[in-house]
Amino acid sequence: MRGRKSVLVALVIFFILFGLAYFPDLYSLRAENRDDPPAIHLFGRVMSRYGPVENARVRIAGRDKFALTDRSGQFEIRTDYLQANAFLVTAGKEGWFNNAEMANGPGRVKDIFLNPIYLGDRKDYQFISPVTCSRCHIKVTRYWDKSKMAHTTSNPKVLDMFYGMDNNKQEGVKPGYRLDFPNSNGNCTTCHAPSAAVSSPWSQELNEVLKSPRTEWDGISCEYCHKVRKVVKDQEAPSGYKPIFERQSSRTSSSILVFGPYDDVVVPPMAASYNPLFGEGRFCSTCHSHYKKLGKGNKWNPENIYTPAERKGLGLDGGNLLPIQTTYQEWKQWQDELPPDAPNKGKKCQGCHMSWRKEMLPYDNYIIDGNARRMWGVHRSPQRINPHHFDGGTERQLKTSLSMELEGEITGDRLKVHVYVTNTNGGHWVPTGETMRSVMLVLRAMDSNAVPLKMTKGNTLPEWTGKGAVEKGNYAGQPGEIFARVLEDDSGRINVPFWQATGVASDTRIRPKTTQEFIFEFALEDPEDEPSVEANLIYRPVIRQWADEKKWPVKDILITSKAW
Amino acid sequence: MKIQLKYIVFIAIFLFMGSTGKVFAGGIKGTVKVKGLRSPANVLVYLSKSPDVPLDLKRARFIMDQQNLTFIPHVLPIPVGATVEFPNNDEVSHNVFSLSRTKKFNLGSYKKGKSKSVLFSKPGVVELRCDVHAEMSAFIMVLKNPYWAITDDRGQFQIPDSTYFEKRGIKGLPDLEPGKYLVKTWHEKLKSKKKTVVVPENGTVSMTLKLTRGIPGVLYKR
Repeated sequence: MRGRKSVLVALVIFFILFGLAYFPDLYSLRAENRDDPPAIHLFGRVMSRYGPVENARVRIAGRDKFALTDRSGQFEIRTDYLQANAFLVTAGKEGWFNNAEMANGPGRVKDIFLNPIYLGDRKDYQFISPVTCSRCHIKVTRYWDKSKMAHTTSNPKVLDMFYGMDNNKQEGVKPGYRLDFPNSNGNCTTCHAPSAAVSSPWSQELNEVLKSPRTEWDGISCEYCHKVRKVVKDQEAPSGYKPIFERQSSRTSSSILVFGPYDDVVVPPMAASYNPLFGEGRFCSTCHSHYKKLGKGNKWNPENIYTPAERKGLGLDGGNLLPIQTTYQEWKQWQDELPPDAPNKGKKCQGCHMSWRKEMLPYDNYIIDGNARRMWGVHRSPQRINPHHFDGGTERQLKTSLSMELEGEITGDRLKVHVYVTNTNGGHWVPTGETMRSVMLVLRAMDSNAVPLKMTKGNTLPEWTGKGAVEKGNYAGQPGEIFARVLEDDSGRINVPFWQATGVASDTRIRPKTTQEFIFEFALEDPEDEPSVEANLIYRPVIRQWADEKKWPVKDILITSKAW
Repeated sequence: MKIQLKYIVFIAIFLFMGSTGKVFAGGIKGTVKVKGLRSPANVLVYLSKSPDVPLDLKRARFIMDQQNLTFIPHVLPIPVGATVEFPNNDEVSHNVFSLSRTKKFNLGSYKKGKSKSVLFSKPGVVELRCDVHAEMSAFIMVLKNPYWAITDDRGQFQIPDSTYFEKRGIKGLPDLEPGKYLVKTWHEKLKSKKKTVVVPENGTVSMTLKLTRGIPGVLYKR
């Protein structure tokens, strides 16, 4: 009996050892299933009525990684374990409508069929109101609505500058475009009311546009941007660039054609089409750039103002184009000059002006909300979502745009101050955009009793920074520097509106990621005294003279302060 | 007899420890009072000069984290020669960089889960930025000596602050030698103040610093 038991035990041990020897993966596979699920392999083709589609981007909807199809339209995706039993495999390519097929687990996916976008822009197309878009894109439109982008037409300063009014709507207050050109509408609507500008035969006068009940005509509407197929150079456009639209409904369904940065949006209400332009700086060029043609025979000399590289970057070599706003060109020149391995190479406008903000946290994984999210929502990384706040020229953005450092040295009865001003976060020159903007460096050196020291070397701020009490924001004559593009006319008047300008008097704005050093010297009455220095960098949205004349309630923004 | 022996042993230990200077070591204790800010916390209190103190930074770990579009901590004091790690624990990529004269660097964009590090070999203030998120800013204060402290919620501080260093892997921070020292402060929103104190042979010196809202000065004047 005892012998039988021993044999039985021996047999059990043998089989266990045998099992482990011949099936070593049994245990480990289970462990892998539990902790490290196996990869999923998907493959298939992207086809069209013309045959295979090469270079289509294929991904599991919402995932970061995508595969490109080869010449025969084949794709292969290896991804980690997915909890869902079925998942959407999407495909998109520039010039084609996105499409998708459901995959029921790993293996072959049914052919994904893409339809081409036949060119046929309808000039009579009526842009859809942002109100319609907001039904699904609640958060996106909310932030857009709070941005300057949404109200470029009804912006009171724009209207006051166009009609020559002040803040109280008193007429005849200069400067005013209509005061100088009573019968002209100018080309303001091109950027300030672009939906109206491209929807002829509507009036191109700002107030006429605003009288329209069509809400999408105030500002840059959702559809205006998301109908842009490409951006081309156009010497006739104020910016030198113009958008090419594709305003049409999908031919395969009743939904509307919408261009965007996603190749994995495949939902019934929108016929979405992936367009890489939406991730490029070029997209912004049509409005964030403004030149004035000086007319036949008229030229100005940019050589005293800009370096050869800057002239080339800003496109000023002919001398007959006057740069008004060159934000896009400033960014492009900076990018073009960077070596390929520079950490900032490839930075785009969208990266900063459409990035997440603290007020938006916690992060959201969807770009649609409410019922739409439940029906069609694609869960994606916040990294692939661009909130539409378009922050620029705001206190939040300006606070980190520039930085400043101070160094002082005392030699006998002399205090030498070095001020270093750096464009830290601007991917363009700072300040940029409208020429009515400026940044001032205001310096104050004092003895130990807070009595101002007499400056013996260094620049002072110009008259146009305001004459009068410093406490009221008047800095003329104070030790400091001004950073601005200053326009002038033929008679030498500076800070004229762009339609009167015939040249650039100076452009001292700070180039991206560069530091400018300024030296000031002060006399010390008592060489044993301990003097101190305070420096403020102040952003002024509108030059003092205009703000006073127009009675605009504009406030300076303190960018940073430093002491030594 | 037994009781007497106990007392003798106790007195002997007391005298021994006193003679080594460990119990009554030199140091500065104090309180910072502020006007114009809600809390007196996070004020850097430091000595502008001190005798040279060799620090073993091999195991030191200074971390500037990135979470929810915020650098954590907002102000990180480190000794000269220390390396700071910049892990990204956020859902989006960040691009940490500095264009400060004390240390210029650009780590480029990197995603969640990755970390990069930078060595700081020159004293001064380093202003950190993220190239993508305008709201993100922080300061690394590179200090010449390890005699500094960050005030707590009640504005209290103690120099040297061994706990701060031990938490970051630096042990054996020596106490302050007796002598005269210039104590200075730095806070992003407070006017810097300086005050001279004398650290006695044994024990600590107490001080109070009253700060008002204003612009901080440089860490070290030339």
